[in-house]
Amino acid sequence: MNRISIDPITRLEGHGKIDIFLNDDGDVANAYLQVPELRGFERFCIGRQAEDMPNITDRICGVCPEAHHMASTKALDALFHVDPPPTAKKLRELFYSIFYATDHTTHFYALAGPDFVMGPDAPVAERNILGVIKKVGMDIAGKVLKMRHDGHHLIKMIGGRPVHPNWGLPGGVSRGITEEQREEIERLGRDAVEFAKFSIQLFNDIVLGNPAYVDLIKNDAFVHNTYNMGTVDADNHVNFYDGMIRVVGPDGKEHAKYHAKDYREYVAEHVEPWSYLKFPYLKKIGWKGFTDGIGSGIYKATPLSRLNAADGMATPLAQAEYERMYEVLGGKPVNHTLATHWARLIELLYATEHWIELATDPEITGENFRVLPTQTPNEGVGCVEAPRGTLTHHYWTDERGILTRVNLIVGTTNNNAAINMSVKKAAQGLITKNKVVTEGLLNTIEMGFRAYDPCMACATHALPGQMPLEVTIRAPDGTVVERLSKNLS
Amino acid sequence: MKTLVLGLGNPLLCDDAVGLHTVRRLQPLLSGAADVEVDEDYRGGLRLMERLIGFDRAIIVDAICSGAAPGTVHRLSPDGIPTQHSASAHDANLRTALEFGRQAGAQLPADDRILLIGIEASDVLSFRESLTPEVQAAIPGAVRMILEELEAGRGKT
Repeated sequence: MNRISIDPITRLEGHGKIDIFLNDDGDVANAYLQVPELRGFERFCIGRQAEDMPNITDRICGVCPEAHHMASTKALDALFHVDPPPTAKKLRELFYSIFYATDHTTHFYALAGPDFVMGPDAPVAERNILGVIKKVGMDIAGKVLKMRHDGHHLIKMIGGRPVHPNWGLPGGVSRGITEEQREEIERLGRDAVEFAKFSIQLFNDIVLGNPAYVDLIKNDAFVHNTYNMGTVDADNHVNFYDGMIRVVGPDGKEHAKYHAKDYREYVAEHVEPWSYLKFPYLKKIGWKGFTDGIGSGIYKATPLSRLNAADGMATPLAQAEYERMYEVLGGKPVNHTLATHWARLIELLYATEHWIELATDPEITGENFRVLPTQTPNEGVGCVEAPRGTLTHHYWTDERGILTRVNLIVGTTNNNAAINMSVKKAAQGLITKNKVVTEGLLNTIEMGFRAYDPCMACATHALPGQMPLEVTIRAPDGTVVERLSKNLS
Repeated sequence: MKTLVLGLGNPLLCDDAVGLHTVRRLQPLLSGAADVEVDEDYRGGLRLMERLIGFDRAIIVDAICSGAAPGTVHRLSPDGIPTQHSASAHDANLRTALEFGRQAGAQLPADDRILLIGIEASDVLSFRESLTPEVQAAIPGAVRMILEELEAGRGKT
């Protein structure tokens, strides 16, 4: 096969561009997803005070600024060698649980829901959140809107500002909550638990009640037997805010369990000439190309990966649902990409249950929510589970706390190799012997994509449409055989 | 008539912030206007729709990459807008989000009372807190356009 380096996107920033290369027989040889590069982030940060980072990095991304804020704040804890008091840790985790519940709700109803609730064969015009309302009923619109409204309201109340919080400090947070605020957080949290239960029930009735949809989840076209990564607590239960990073193999066995600060001993980054985005892989296994299996270092870090990497959920309702998912899908690990949507709902349920646990914790209204740093800063790593994957911030400073070096591994980057494999597999299923099934190609690729919910530039760059895609199919000599596009304005 | 003038953008990504710079210029000029709120935001899709709840009219200022000369000021309706922020790949475009909000019973401005001012950007991929000169130069024109639009709207109910 001819190797061709493809020009970066120069005109329509933000959209996903996929090139599919055919071999001499007209079958798919390779498929590449390309994303635009954001330039100069490290240069932008160097020379600034490290304490500014929670308020800079949360602007990298308009989708999960709360995750960047939290990873950055934890990196400052490590950098300044300070351990926040229990009230601060619990407040951060409460804030983060509310954010998770809000984010996962949006993803399920706006992105996953249309594929499942409407069905994969529904006309594209109906495969959106309006189609879901039409099919499920008007009530759902109000429920989703209330869940989002409550989440944003509480994030603002706790974090100090809507969208971009200015709350995290090395050693704690800038303010606590009053008893009156706690009561409101608890009350809205109880509504959120009900909403999460309702969402699981909806998934049960509409998706699991329909054998065709269960077959779709189990479809081989969406399976990659890779390693799975996620953060676990002391009991090996899923945790979004803190714990050890655990990696489990395609055989279900533990490959590694490490502290986030040691990430460079376990994760390395592969570079391809056609992509600005790097491809993280497990260092001890090695990069073996875009292939899955126990001998390939490719891993995934998604909601489903977190469930695979853990032994269970820390709350009762989520645990029951966790067990049911593995029973239906045939045991652990599950590597069916579309099951990520189910896993996301289980995480939604856990997030709301944990929200209540924290809101009713006697320490949550405590007044000791910050320890002042007294040691000289040098280097620190902070890590959280972002909704789209394990998020790592690593800062180096001089003795004054001025940044000298910065490294980030964002959620989507972890999944870069797996996303490319999903794209290739989808293409292989629909292109044989130069025959291209154009009808289903974009939808199938999109469905694989959506499960990862990639933040392609991990910037506020909301894309110009709903997951715009441009697919170019090329002959071995690089000439264009066919060009398909969707949602490009 | 209650109007929201909203600047959208990322303050750290060069010309992407032009909507924010524009509304910052408007803020002192409109500080006495009781019927106009001026604000900044960062997200599109459902979040943008939710920000419009309770207003009779909205003017949204954002960077746009359509291929026109940098600094060109476009006037757009909620239909078919290729601006960077009004749509979100993670939930819905503005058109769908508005329809969703209305079905949920939210009080939102009618489509013909939502105006998007798109300012053609030159660089939206570099981390930088300043704008490129051509885009910076477009701000006074965009400010004037918004003030005229507000004035014209005052005659209507």
